[in-house]
Amino acid sequence: MSTTAAARQTPGRSAPVPGRADDGAVTRRRGVRQASGLPWILPAVVLVIGLVYFSIGYTGYVSTLDWNGFILSPSEPVGGANYTEMVGDPVFWRSLWHTAYFFVITFTVQTVLGFVFAALMHSKLRFGTLFKVVVFVPTVLAPAIMAPVFRQIFDADGQLNRLLDAVGLDAVSRPWLADATTAMGVVMVVTVWQWTGLTFILFFAAMSQVDPEVMEAARIDGAGNIRALRSIVWPMVRGTTAALALLGLIGALKTFDVPYLVTKGGPNHGTEFLGTYIYQVMVAEKHFGYAAAISVALLVLAITGGVLMSIRNRRAERS
Amino acid sequence: MRTSTTPRPRLMATAAVAGLALLGLSACSGGGQEAAAPTGGADSGDLTWWGWTPDAVNAEKLIAAFNEEYPDIAVTFVSKPIDSYDSVLGPAITSSDGPDVFNVAPGSANGGVDTFGAGALDLTPAVAAALGDDWKDKLAPAGVEPLTVDDKLVGVSAGAVYSGGLWVNQDLFDQYGLTAPTDLDEWKQVCATLEVNGVTCFVQGAGQHAFDMDTFEAVMENVEPGLYVDASEGEVPYTDERFVQGMEIWKSLFDEGIMQEGAIGLQQYPDANNQFMSGKAAMVMMGTWYTQYAVKDSMVAAMEAAGVADPTPFAITPADFPDLAGTGDTGSLFGDADYGLAVSGKTDQPDAATTFALWLGTSEAGQQAVANTLNNVPALKGVTPQWEQIDLVDPARQLEPLQEYTERAGQATEPRFASVSSDLNSAFEDVLIGVASDDMTIDEALGALQAVQDEEK
Repeated sequence: MSTTAAARQTPGRSAPVPGRADDGAVTRRRGVRQASGLPWILPAVVLVIGLVYFSIGYTGYVSTLDWNGFILSPSEPVGGANYTEMVGDPVFWRSLWHTAYFFVITFTVQTVLGFVFAALMHSKLRFGTLFKVVVFVPTVLAPAIMAPVFRQIFDADGQLNRLLDAVGLDAVSRPWLADATTAMGVVMVVTVWQWTGLTFILFFAAMSQVDPEVMEAARIDGAGNIRALRSIVWPMVRGTTAALALLGLIGALKTFDVPYLVTKGGPNHGTEFLGTYIYQVMVAEKHFGYAAAISVALLVLAITGGVLMSIRNRRAERS
Repeated sequence: MRTSTTPRPRLMATAAVAGLALLGLSACSGGGQEAAAPTGGADSGDLTWWGWTPDAVNAEKLIAAFNEEYPDIAVTFVSKPIDSYDSVLGPAITSSDGPDVFNVAPGSANGGVDTFGAGALDLTPAVAAALGDDWKDKLAPAGVEPLTVDDKLVGVSAGAVYSGGLWVNQDLFDQYGLTAPTDLDEWKQVCATLEVNGVTCFVQGAGQHAFDMDTFEAVMENVEPGLYVDASEGEVPYTDERFVQGMEIWKSLFDEGIMQEGAIGLQQYPDANNQFMSGKAAMVMMGTWYTQYAVKDSMVAAMEAAGVADPTPFAITPADFPDLAGTGDTGSLFGDADYGLAVSGKTDQPDAATTFALWLGTSEAGQQAVANTLNNVPALKGVTPQWEQIDLVDPARQLEPLQEYTERAGQATEPRFASVSSDLNSAFEDVLIGVASDDMTIDEALGALQAVQDEEK
């Protein structure tokens, strides 16, 4: 704070003293500076307020309506009825529960895999560049392209079951997408496959920042690979892990494409997430007001989760 | 301390937000200005037509037939996926850059008139001018009231589709010496034979509940004709014993191995359709819209779309839903207007657009073209397909059953979705898949349906 304030002062000039006669002139100059900067940021301000915050406010307004979503159709104000309905809606709670354990499992698996891959890549692996590309490519592939492939792989007559049959594990083969539990497993597998590359890249970059002297000291003290990773590297990339956790939480709350494209939220809401449920309520059932209420709940959850996670991380850093 | 300059950005920002808010609120206040009803009568124009149906091949045939009579009205058909039709149509028809003509459907279905009627012009005067004051008597009932909202005819029906039966890959059935099953035991025997030969007997994308509703309605029509519609209109409770029987039969389709393994993990489109069209499955639950694939070029296009390279078309034939309840009441078909053509309230060519809609839905030439595509049962009474002009894959095996099937469909009166509200529709999704997957008991399922029905009373 003080550094920033000092930096703002013009070199060779003293800071204005409160109560002096030129106070007004300085304030006016500052005002002129602010005014002259305004046109430069105005487009961004209009864009942000117009597209983002207005949309949020408008969604809040729509959540108080009974409306089919077509702009020429009439709407009826219903106050908080959509929120009351949401609280009593078992599919909403089920979606929330799915989001919670989806986040815990996918974040944990991605973190472990990403961390291990990054650590391996910091050793001298042959074909390291190729390995990096292979791990990262799924992150840049559109889920819409890959969804039919995964539907085919996990089909009752798909490649996975054929493979299992071929190796004598036919007792394990099953219609993976037809059972709620296994379908959720498929959604998680696809998500982990897609996003582990990003986790890996971020951990790889974070590990590059670890001071080699610290690692060298640990080696001199007799730390092996596992011990060095656990006691030196892992704590030093905590910031990256925290950032990934926050991104993962928000991503889990917004999950839509994979379950929608691979399982359509089914069977029987078995892979329903808030995003897919909002889409169904809004587009298929045409209850825009109710869908908006769930969207508002989603926003509140995302902000609350983000804030709680930031507080926790800050406390962890202090301790 | 704020200077005198600071209120200006705040004021500007506030004004921007308020302006946008007013723009948004005024836009959603409903009841846009109603334009004068168009009359048609134009003979030139350049139109865009949006719809989820017909297939591109058939749309081109319809447009070509239209252009024989109206060579100076160009029509471009833009096919939109049915699942996302509503989400793209809403913004499009509130824009002057959107379609001039768009498909609508009864009630709250995709493109439902309940939702999109406000964006269309009233076609009542135009249809009355084309067919006379007794125009309602000249059109199939399924295409009039279901496409009307508050006395406004939102769309001119092109034709109707009916469901309630099966489609059979006749080549496979003939290859293994099979005939279409008429009851559960025969169905199981047919399946056993097909599966021994590595063919999936019956395929259904039971994860797409609209087709589950077709199957369940077919079961209920077998239990007692008309009961399904009576319940959807609130005249019979879903907890009635006959619905328990129907739901037990529905469940038995999964337990007895009629439905293929993993059925509820599949969608009817594209999964089940692709399996049938690629010859991997021998039977599928589809409606009259499948009649079009009895035609060579439509079948070839459908097989290619299903991933078959260099396809040789195979013969398909319709079959009655088997008598699973043992009542002997089989062969029921039920249906709604498939699509009607609505004229956008934002089009700058309302007369040309109306000319096209009227030609397709009310003229003999247009309805004959519709009939000959075999995609729809025509809306104009008395028009039937000109079979001699239709290039069937194998007329010897297909012609007679297809003639009987389309004739019976034209006489069907039971609705398919028109009597089912959107909430009831969603409840059906939960209960049919819930029962099939053992997540719900039959009593819970029927109780859930009745709860929705009670709420709507």
